[in-house]
Amino acid sequence: MAFIKRACLYCLRQRFKTIILFLVLTVIGTFVLTGIALRDAAKDATADVRTAIGGKITLDIDKEGHMGASQQYEWGSASTYNGDYISQEIVEAIKKVEGVVDYNSEMTAGYYGAGVNFDYLPATYELSYTPYGESSCYTVALSSEKCKAFQSGKYTLVEGRHFTPDDKYTCLISKELADYNNLSVGDDIEMYSLDSDSISTFEIIGIFDGTEGSSGNAYTVSDIPANWGYIDYGALQDIFKNMYPVNDYSQLAIFVEDPVSIQNVYDKISALPELKGKTLKLTIDTDEYDIISTPLESLQGLVNTAIAIVLAVSVTILTLLLTVWIRGRKKEIGILLSIGKNKANIVLQFFTEALMVAVLSFAAAIPFSNLIAEKAGAFLVSRITAETARLHVQINAAYLPALYLTGIFLIAAAVSASAWTVVRSRPNDILAKMS
Amino acid sequence: MSIIKTCNVKYSYDKNRSILKNLSAEFETGKIYAILGPSGCGKTTLLSLLGGLDSPTEGQVLFQEEDIRQRGLAWHRKHNVAFIFQSYNLIDYMTPAENVALTSKLPPLPILERLGLTKEESKRNVLKLSGGQQQRVAIARALASDASVILADEPTGNLDEDTALEITNILKECAHQMNKCVIIATHSNDLARQADVLMKLRKGELQILAAPAPEN
Repeated sequence: MAFIKRACLYCLRQRFKTIILFLVLTVIGTFVLTGIALRDAAKDATADVRTAIGGKITLDIDKEGHMGASQQYEWGSASTYNGDYISQEIVEAIKKVEGVVDYNSEMTAGYYGAGVNFDYLPATYELSYTPYGESSCYTVALSSEKCKAFQSGKYTLVEGRHFTPDDKYTCLISKELADYNNLSVGDDIEMYSLDSDSISTFEIIGIFDGTEGSSGNAYTVSDIPANWGYIDYGALQDIFKNMYPVNDYSQLAIFVEDPVSIQNVYDKISALPELKGKTLKLTIDTDEYDIISTPLESLQGLVNTAIAIVLAVSVTILTLLLTVWIRGRKKEIGILLSIGKNKANIVLQFFTEALMVAVLSFAAAIPFSNLIAEKAGAFLVSRITAETARLHVQINAAYLPALYLTGIFLIAAAVSASAWTVVRSRPNDILAKMS
Repeated sequence: MSIIKTCNVKYSYDKNRSILKNLSAEFETGKIYAILGPSGCGKTTLLSLLGGLDSPTEGQVLFQEEDIRQRGLAWHRKHNVAFIFQSYNLIDYMTPAENVALTSKLPPLPILERLGLTKEESKRNVLKLSGGQQQRVAIARALASDASVILADEPTGNLDEDTALEITNILKECAHQMNKCVIIATHSNDLARQADVLMKLRKGELQILAAPAPEN
């Protein structure tokens, strides 16, 4: 009788042991499958974050040693930067560097405007230093989508679209301000700038939220985040074209496709002839990527460790279980040896028994893993990673070969360890102990 | 001509305790051999050596003039010899038919029927059979293997008188009608009386007490 048939008979006739082994292997399979799925989900999430956030290189004016002499004004003294700015020529050169996917310049409070045909959310003090009341501040940018508050997820666009370097006289306002004035996407707002002493009309192309709950007791309207907004750089350059050298930028964020290759892009930009001898400084900024990806990478490490521990514990439990059972089968081993079956044939029978049960157990582990993997993922993310990271844990067919290979290795190790004492014994010793 | 023989076989568990001393014996097919001797004299050890369950400390066991180690002891156990034990040694999760099928690809039911088991009994769990029936299954398994030598260690030790007699007759049949060489280690004088050759193992040496008259 072949060992496979003997193994089948054993599994069918020793139902209690088969069920126990089935349950143990199902639990092991569930843990392993969940672990693999979690690890892969963390890996995918890291890759997603990498693609979504990318890497960032910042080009700034270098003020150190390039500030002019201090000048005395009525209100005090001040000095002015007298170095180089980031010219359009530099921007064009950077755009062409391989690996650069986007760029943005963002000037916080670059424009102050008082509402001509709309009102700001009121503050404690009503100041009226312009004919249209108090001004609020606007961030001036080339691409609003690439601004820090949107990149970090603090603000979210809820209506309309973001502006790009091609837009002119467009703006984004907060949902709170829009609701306060019954404004919507497509409406025009007029703002008065005290600096330029002019009124400009901006089209609302987007409305964002994220300012809720931050409009408490503020002294001035510009202290209320809901009154802040975004306008495009084209408008600023137009408004101040006769006053300041606003065609150049003091800061440029350069977005790189993959944070891993950021050093390579940095080196290429550093070597641009357009930057040679300029009082500008280039720095790598992977903070946003690191904040999200580092915990995810830690999670991968944690899951890998957990898988290793599960495997080690599984081998131990399985070995102990099989050792007890195999010791109880000495008589059978003696009989098989006496009829001429060799030890390898007997060990193969034990291995086949466990393997046959494992085939069913691991199949049963799939639905169980599906049930717990998503919850385990959400739990781990809530404990370990940033809120912006999400794990999409799914058990798919691709995991099965890995599970079965792991299972075969696990069972082979456990059976070998369990049968070791039997394999080492002489047939006569086994039969002597048997009798 | 002998089918199996021992040549100057020595066996000791340790240096000071020799069980078999220069033991040379020959066994032929068609005969039933009974080995008598007190407990611990080495009867089971001798059967183990003949059956390839163990190797002698010195000397050789030859099967058809070939050292059994030549092809390997497992091969010898599989093809040349079959064991029958006092405690039957059947695999408990198998039926009698499946136990018999362990050693042969032939259908097990005819052999079992020949030894007195019904079809229904042959498909029951072995543990639900009586001692005599279990021993018949063990004999059927030995016969199914087609081995020329049957080594029986106290085959009637656990059986009542009537059943023991039935088993003895079956073993005699094996030797005389199926031309097997049946070697029995026993304490039973009744069983020993049925043997063709009576041997006594004493102080590690084997003495022939009675042998059939040579054929003319």
